[in-house]
Amino acid sequence: MKHILRQAALTFVSFAFLYATLGALSFLMFPDSASEGQRDFQNAEQTLYMTVPKYVFLGRSVLNSPAEKAILVGASNTGVGFIQKTIQSKLACAKVSNLAVGGANISEAKQIIDMVHEVQSQADRPSNTFVIGVWFGMFVDSDVKYADPDRNRGETDIDLEKYRYGFYRRTLEGPAALLPASWLDAGVLAIRPILVIEKMAREARAGVNLLLTGRKSAQRNEAEREAAGMSEQDKKKALDYWNEAMGKRNEISLGQVEVLKNTIETLLRSGERVVLIDLPIPAWHRDASPFQRSYEQAFTDVSRQFDGQRSFVSMSMSDLSKEQDYSDEVHAKRHLADVWSDRLANVLNPFVCRTSPEQARVSLRGSDQFKAETHQ
Amino acid sequence: MSLTSPLFFAFLAAVVVAYNISASVPYRRTVLGLANAFFIGSYLTDIIQALPLLGFLLLGYVCVRVLEVWKAAVALGLGVLSVLVCYVFLKRFSFFEDLGHLPFPYLMIGLSYILFRILHMMVDVRSGDLSERIGPLAFFRYTCNFLCFVSGPIQRYQDFRATDGVAAFDLDSAKVYDAFARIITGYVKFVIVAATAEYGFSFLKPQLLQAADLPVLKLYGLYAAAASLYTVYLYYNFSGYMDIVIGSGILLGQELPENFDRPFSARTFLEFWQRWHMTLSQWFKFYLFNPLVMLLMSWFPAPALTAYLGVLAFFVTFLVMGVWHGTTAVFVIYGLLMGAGASVNKLWQVAWTGRLGKKRYRALTDRTAYIYFSRGITIAYFVLALTCLWVPELSDFDRLIGRLGLTGILGPFLAIGGAFALFWFVTDRIVPHLTTPTFLLSIRDSLIGRNLSLASKMMAIVVITTLLHKSPDFVYKAF
Repeated sequence: MKHILRQAALTFVSFAFLYATLGALSFLMFPDSASEGQRDFQNAEQTLYMTVPKYVFLGRSVLNSPAEKAILVGASNTGVGFIQKTIQSKLACAKVSNLAVGGANISEAKQIIDMVHEVQSQADRPSNTFVIGVWFGMFVDSDVKYADPDRNRGETDIDLEKYRYGFYRRTLEGPAALLPASWLDAGVLAIRPILVIEKMAREARAGVNLLLTGRKSAQRNEAEREAAGMSEQDKKKALDYWNEAMGKRNEISLGQVEVLKNTIETLLRSGERVVLIDLPIPAWHRDASPFQRSYEQAFTDVSRQFDGQRSFVSMSMSDLSKEQDYSDEVHAKRHLADVWSDRLANVLNPFVCRTSPEQARVSLRGSDQFKAETHQ
Repeated sequence: MSLTSPLFFAFLAAVVVAYNISASVPYRRTVLGLANAFFIGSYLTDIIQALPLLGFLLLGYVCVRVLEVWKAAVALGLGVLSVLVCYVFLKRFSFFEDLGHLPFPYLMIGLSYILFRILHMMVDVRSGDLSERIGPLAFFRYTCNFLCFVSGPIQRYQDFRATDGVAAFDLDSAKVYDAFARIITGYVKFVIVAATAEYGFSFLKPQLLQAADLPVLKLYGLYAAAASLYTVYLYYNFSGYMDIVIGSGILLGQELPENFDRPFSARTFLEFWQRWHMTLSQWFKFYLFNPLVMLLMSWFPAPALTAYLGVLAFFVTFLVMGVWHGTTAVFVIYGLLMGAGASVNKLWQVAWTGRLGKKRYRALTDRTAYIYFSRGITIAYFVLALTCLWVPELSDFDRLIGRLGLTGILGPFLAIGGAFALFWFVTDRIVPHLTTPTFLLSIRDSLIGRNLSLASKMMAIVVITTLLHKSPDFVYKAF
């Protein structure tokens, strides 16, 4: 018995030593960037967290503050289309965070909103303005959307992050928290050695990619996206892809529409503000997709449902659908992202920074660049 | 209880501590019995799910006890038949669907290996090799030993009994370190190597099976890559599991038999099976091959036929062993492929020994080109035969083979065989020349070096586990 206990102690001490050493190293390599209520979550790659879902999940505690906040949620087109720095520079009264996660459906966007709430007190919630960017590709049921062979069917990227470090456990009803949200920062501190090794592994892989292919990753950079265009064959491929990916024939998931309605309703009930944006896609895609019609109908229905509520505004940018402004069938190029960001900032400014809804209404009317509605 | 779950680590630690607290034999046997019950219980959500297993155990125990007093061949025949029928019924083999099935979900994990243990006890009790009277608790501890419950190794009762809760077992600090190292190495194989291979395999398989209009070369390449990755996954998953249970067994005074002995260094198909899943091969050798050869020899006593009877016995043995792996028709194909591999191998040996004589045949098999050629085709054959395990539905299997055609099978066969032969050739030439500087060896072998090495492996395991989106599972659990 004594030999077993001695060896167990030796193994434990060695592991603890190694773990602590890596933890210390992680602070040297990636000093914790103190941030007051905002972070550019789309810059996850430059951080210890590496990916947006991980950064959103592990780094969200900065959103626990009483300051006014504009929090963007949605899929990758929200991520690349709204530049946090641009919006922030035009929105003095609030901290802007873009928490959009690539490939998100409405359920995952709701999960992100729920995660923000987890780290906030009830009293701080009225300082939130959630900007929800939507398009038809987000209205896909989770069982269809998240069906890769390397994950359990229906688990979103946020679910994966929840389970990854044991902060949550799987139950039939979905993730159940093992670590209270108030302990999130302590939990992140505890897993820093793991994060730093993951980061090193990712960097090493990028190095190998660079060596073999001349580039770090298959993802296009901003300049490449700016120069990109789609051939007729690319367009057909894209349409085929979305026809397959939506999992339904010609219509979006009504279940996801319900999730969106419930989410907005809950937010408004708890005193938070909501900006719902109909994100434009290139005209060729909009006109050719069999899903656009049911999506537009759903967007109108949702907007109408909350019509008249002072904390709700819907926004459309349907005039911004020129093919050459998009790098593919969904994503805005950088020059268009600047326009999107300006327009959103113009909506947010009166809506978030002025307490009087009348002021917001006047401000919105004053702009001829966008179509927006506020409801009292 | 998954081997990679925190619950398993806590459970194992608790059992090891509880077992070693006292040297009392009854106490230790009680701890093992309770550990087995807890382990099996972890797979249940309702006690009713355990009833078929308990019924199967009860039937096996009754058969063993009957054979203790009635050693007639007919008693053994009836016993074996009743146990096999019960097993086939509970495992719900697709080709015995007419037997019907129980109207509720129940635990099937462990049944295959319990079957081997029960049959072994029955045969040995009847032959007199196992003479002691077996109590119900000893029977439970042996058949449901939590370390071997899911997938072996298949230990003989006599060997189990020699260490079953013994008061004193020789355990010094070196042995304990080796046990820890074995367990951690097992997890490295299981969580890092096997899971990474599975990750790659799970991406290739849908492309291979679902894509309709793949270019021919891409189809062949995908097939070769998927089949190779599955083999890597299977080997490291299974041998990693064995390292974990054998290492854990050391801490509980159990000397579990080895199940793998560098199988990919085998030069022939028959040698491969002496190195792969060894306890299963040995079980089939003792309880099917040997009796079958004896029976055939009694029917056809001519000495000239002896070698060919061996060929036939090999075919039957490997056919049964293959069919045992699954419950669908594809596993019959797997059995036929295994049987064909073994019997052709034996036939080749018989034919060339007859033609060249033993000495010249041996000289032939020692030639460098022959060694690497036979290594290549042995492994390539096994790798491709394993397709049956990852395409278990006959319709999918049919479609895949139809799309591949003869060229699509031969091409990957030659590519895998060639790559493997080349790998071994290069390895055998380079590895003997690699030496580690003495100062590095002394650091590695020091107390700190050894334990930091363990800790580094643990760190790697933790990191890879967090990188994976799904917990790795034990592949042989399904067989």
